[in-house]
Amino acid sequence: MRSGGDNRGRLLLISLIVTALFLITLDLRGVQVITGLRNGSQSALSPFQSVAATIFRPVGNFFSDVTQLGRTRGEIERLKAANEKLQKELIDRKNADAELAQLKSVLDLAGTAKYKVVNAKVISLGSTSSFTQTITIDAGTNNGVRQNMTVISGLGLVGVVKISYPNSALVQLTTDPAFKVGARVAGSQQIGILSGQGTSKAVLQLLDNQTTLKVGDVILARGSVNNRPFVPGVPIGQVTAVDNAAGAVTQTADVKLYVNFSALSTVAVVISAPKVDPRDALVPRAPVPTPVPTVTIYAQPSESPAP
Amino acid sequence: MFARRFFISLPIFTFIFILQESVVTQFKLFGGGFSLFLIFALLWSALGTPEMGALTGFGAGLLMDLSQSASGPMGQWTLIMILAGFTVSYLGYGDDNFRGNPISLIFTVAAAVVVIRVIYLILGLLLGSDIGSTWSVLVSLFSSAFWSAAIAPLLLPVVTRIHETLFDVKSRI
Repeated sequence: MRSGGDNRGRLLLISLIVTALFLITLDLRGVQVITGLRNGSQSALSPFQSVAATIFRPVGNFFSDVTQLGRTRGEIERLKAANEKLQKELIDRKNADAELAQLKSVLDLAGTAKYKVVNAKVISLGSTSSFTQTITIDAGTNNGVRQNMTVISGLGLVGVVKISYPNSALVQLTTDPAFKVGARVAGSQQIGILSGQGTSKAVLQLLDNQTTLKVGDVILARGSVNNRPFVPGVPIGQVTAVDNAAGAVTQTADVKLYVNFSALSTVAVVISAPKVDPRDALVPRAPVPTPVPTVTIYAQPSESPAP
Repeated sequence: MFARRFFISLPIFTFIFILQESVVTQFKLFGGGFSLFLIFALLWSALGTPEMGALTGFGAGLLMDLSQSASGPMGQWTLIMILAGFTVSYLGYGDDNFRGNPISLIFTVAAAVVVIRVIYLILGLLLGSDIGSTWSVLVSLFSSAFWSAAIAPLLLPVVTRIHETLFDVKSRI
């Protein structure tokens, strides 16, 4: 090691230390020049920092992730769990919203016709291997649901209660091949028998061969004696095709059922019907076309410039 | 001679300072990471005379005081770096065993970084700065020692080569 510095070196060292102390004193006394120097340096550095941030920030985050690997993994797990929980809540919420919408529509329908109904949730779909089309609902004899009662949804006829248990009931759907219901055409009041076909379409066979059907006719339930198994006036579907085969004894038609049986979640069992037949009061309203605004633009050629 | 060397070194230090403030600060490393500029300045000081080390410390300290991340008053880093530069170069000046051994140089720089930060802390306390929790201070000091020991060997060949090229001194290790 060196034994010591010369006088020039000592003078330099002392001068530098004094300068540093002088700077500290100036800064602590709040001299604006010092603050200005810092601000100026930051202003000069900021473009470099912006460019570097653009280029190196992803890499910087990578290093950050590496150094915090354990914590990051824990955070990811926690966020995944929270995300799963939120997704489940969202699904539940969507499900509840859909059920609420169905319930509202079925109550609207029942309210219009003044049916007294018991709401029920679909808790099971029938086995398709037996070729029957049924559902199980969570309302039974304890809720006033009995055999041969009409089951409706917000869109129309769902089916009929075949068997009623204390807390549940088996419902035969309109689509069941063995399902038959007395029907009438809204407006013309022609009557016939509608049979399920195992699909979303049913077949209507008119009883009177003097009348005619046309596409778009709305089919309603005709109603049974003492309103069982069917209450009158429940919408069933709409005629989509008419069979006018020559020589046929009676006219038949394909009917597109209103109810979407694959999306059933809430239904209502009509436990009593009004004394007065609602007639065509439940016929769904035809959709009103939304007017589309048109914009007309008049274009005029500009005057040609003078030569 | 001091002035000539000082002004030759100034652009290099400015470049390293910009690198430190704009690039190194982008990396979020354990314990706050490292100061490339501080390590560079100490290595540079260690290769010169004590007077040149003090002058180097003065210039480096001034730049560090201009940094927005400097929490103390202007001149605090300058004062500490003058003393640090002088001391680091004083330790190895004329001792070829010290300067010829990279391990001792790296160890000195890593230790100096910690000592400098401790002094900065104490001086900051005296001047009324907040230092945060004791645990965070300890973690920061430990990590700065670790990072300095890790970065200094990488920086040492570069520093010695530049120093040799500029000043034509056989300081290459």
